[in-house]
Amino acid sequence: MLSAQLPSGENSVPPLRVIDLTKWYGEDRAIDGVTFSASAGEVVGIIGPNGAGKTTLLETLVGLLPADAGDVLWHGEPLPASERRNALFYLPDGVRPYRDDATFQVVSFFADVYRRSAAEIADTIASVGLRLVLHKRVHALSKGYNRRLLLALALLAPHPVLLMDEPFDGFDLRQTREVVDVLRNQAAQGRTFILAVHQLVDAERVCDRLILLAAGQVRGSGTLDELRTQASLPAGSLEDIFLALT
Amino acid sequence: MRSPKTYGWRAAPLWPLLAKELREITNGRALWTMLLLLCPLVGYSFFQAVSLYGEASTAALQSPVLANSLSPLDGILVPTLGSFYVAVTLLFPFVAIRALGQEKETGALRLLVQLPYRPSTLVSAKLAAVLGAWSLASIPALSALILWRILGGHVAAVETANLLFGHMVYGLLVGALALFSASIADSASTAAIIALAVTIGSWVLDFTVAGNPGLLSWIAQLSLTQTLRPFEQGLLSGGRVLGAACVIFGLIALTTVWLPPGVPPLGKLRRSLPWVLIVALMLGAAAQVRLTFDVTEDRRNSFPAVDQKLLATLPLPLLVTVHLAPEDPRYADLQRNVLAKLERAMPTVSVALARPRQGFSGGSSDEAYGEVEYVYGNRSDISRSTSPREILPLLYALAGVSLPAPTPGSEYSGYPLVASADAALFWFFGGLPLLIVLCWWWIRRPPSNSLAYKGGTS
Repeated sequence: MLSAQLPSGENSVPPLRVIDLTKWYGEDRAIDGVTFSASAGEVVGIIGPNGAGKTTLLETLVGLLPADAGDVLWHGEPLPASERRNALFYLPDGVRPYRDDATFQVVSFFADVYRRSAAEIADTIASVGLRLVLHKRVHALSKGYNRRLLLALALLAPHPVLLMDEPFDGFDLRQTREVVDVLRNQAAQGRTFILAVHQLVDAERVCDRLILLAAGQVRGSGTLDELRTQASLPAGSLEDIFLALT
Repeated sequence: MRSPKTYGWRAAPLWPLLAKELREITNGRALWTMLLLLCPLVGYSFFQAVSLYGEASTAALQSPVLANSLSPLDGILVPTLGSFYVAVTLLFPFVAIRALGQEKETGALRLLVQLPYRPSTLVSAKLAAVLGAWSLASIPALSALILWRILGGHVAAVETANLLFGHMVYGLLVGALALFSASIADSASTAAIIALAVTIGSWVLDFTVAGNPGLLSWIAQLSLTQTLRPFEQGLLSGGRVLGAACVIFGLIALTTVWLPPGVPPLGKLRRSLPWVLIVALMLGAAAQVRLTFDVTEDRRNSFPAVDQKLLATLPLPLLVTVHLAPEDPRYADLQRNVLAKLERAMPTVSVALARPRQGFSGGSSDEAYGEVEYVYGNRSDISRSTSPREILPLLYALAGVSLPAPTPGSEYSGYPLVASADAALFWFFGGLPLLIVLCWWWIRRPPSNSLAYKGGTS
């Protein structure tokens, strides 16, 4: 089993470290000793085929699922599951929250909970392109706009680390590029993103570092160049590396 | 980078959560459907109650003695609110389940539990929204009370407030049960089945097992319906209110345990056990509370005021031994007319049921059967009466005090009223449903205040 390498050349302790995280579903090991870290302002992509354990990893990491073993450290200190929601915010896949509310009501709810100013709310709405559907009820939103709404909710959360499950699902190429820009802008301000992505092209486009997950185990990690070295494919695409390592 | 402590639960305001919970319930069809169904239910009950009350009043207007028994509490309020009770039992679980079931089904619960609120705060906000929904659902019943006043009927404030309070406690019980059902079930439909199984089950329990002796009688006491009974009799029972509060607290505590997703059921069961024990202990303590107030205007649950005052001054404990089977109707009469009133009036009253001896044929062979022995200090007497007119003089004789002089003019004169509630039918079958539909439409209309955010930078 391979563990994701810590970013090389870092002097400071990375804000988030995950060590040997393991989760069992009955007899099946859903995630198996996953170790990785994430630095401030970094976009880390967890890529893997369906059933690789990406969602379980994220949900275990934020404490929505109980881990069977492993530690999560925050600035070098153990971060208990009950306190992870103070540092990490997780955006699940396939959620259509508060279907009968208008879009702006859902946005307002999250903004009010986190005491966001009107300017911050307006910025967030503009950045994810939600303005045209604010009056619409959530159940009437298209898949893409629902995804934008979820993205807005995550961006309104003030947490330093955002975890997102399939954040580009439902977006076309142009929209994906827009969202990538939004995430990169946020990362440039020091926010860390951990994204579970199954579209390799999207992952390659947005992520600083990649963690290849298969059958719950880390099969490779690092930048694209580091992964090429690990896979002995000097000119290989992420797809080639993925197939070679998983 | 900020410390994770920055986003602790203390930082989050409560009002957005409360507003969201209330919106969640009012956005659903269940509440409005229940309101629409309540209109004819409450309306017809009210119409019938007014008609029957009017018939009884016609005779009472000619004979003042008959008027004594005409109390709007029994004649109008209890039957009208009885239909509200039926609706709360059968329909309110569907309304309350939505407060949690919808979030479970759409996955929004996984977002909600990450917000900076304790699970207990989340569940309490949901219960507050359920209480808000109950308040809305009570509008048809409240409008019936207003109509009764318009028709010229009398409403005694304290007994009416007590009855409404009882219905609110019952509504909260059903609401808390529905929330707990939603927390343990995967879907709203399963939660509804669980909640209805309990509410209808306890309803059935109430009228099939009640009145039976021993264990069956104890089981009947567990029925949710029993919560409402003292309030309908015009009693404010401290023990019953505390008991209901304990059950509501227990259900909310259990909902809090079962709310977070991801915890294995076995772990949740393990965490539930201490709460079950705590609530059982609290219920045991609440059962010991004997404090009860008779809030009726006609003081039906009390002796006349002069007797109440005198009985309260008797210092020694009164021991009562009843030679009657619990299922004997005479025991029910004695309990209602004498024993329950004595327990509320005197400082210490102990009642014991003497087990009657059984004959060969299976019937009672006890010659003392039917007797009730009263022991006060070192004096005792026996009576077979179930009437306070005979028992009170007996007790005063035992205590060595003279009979108090009755206060003239203190008797309840009753409130006979012959009125027609035909016009009320137009309200309950036309006006009120129309108003409800309009409110529903107003709440469901496309929201327009999204403009506030349109001026942001783009």
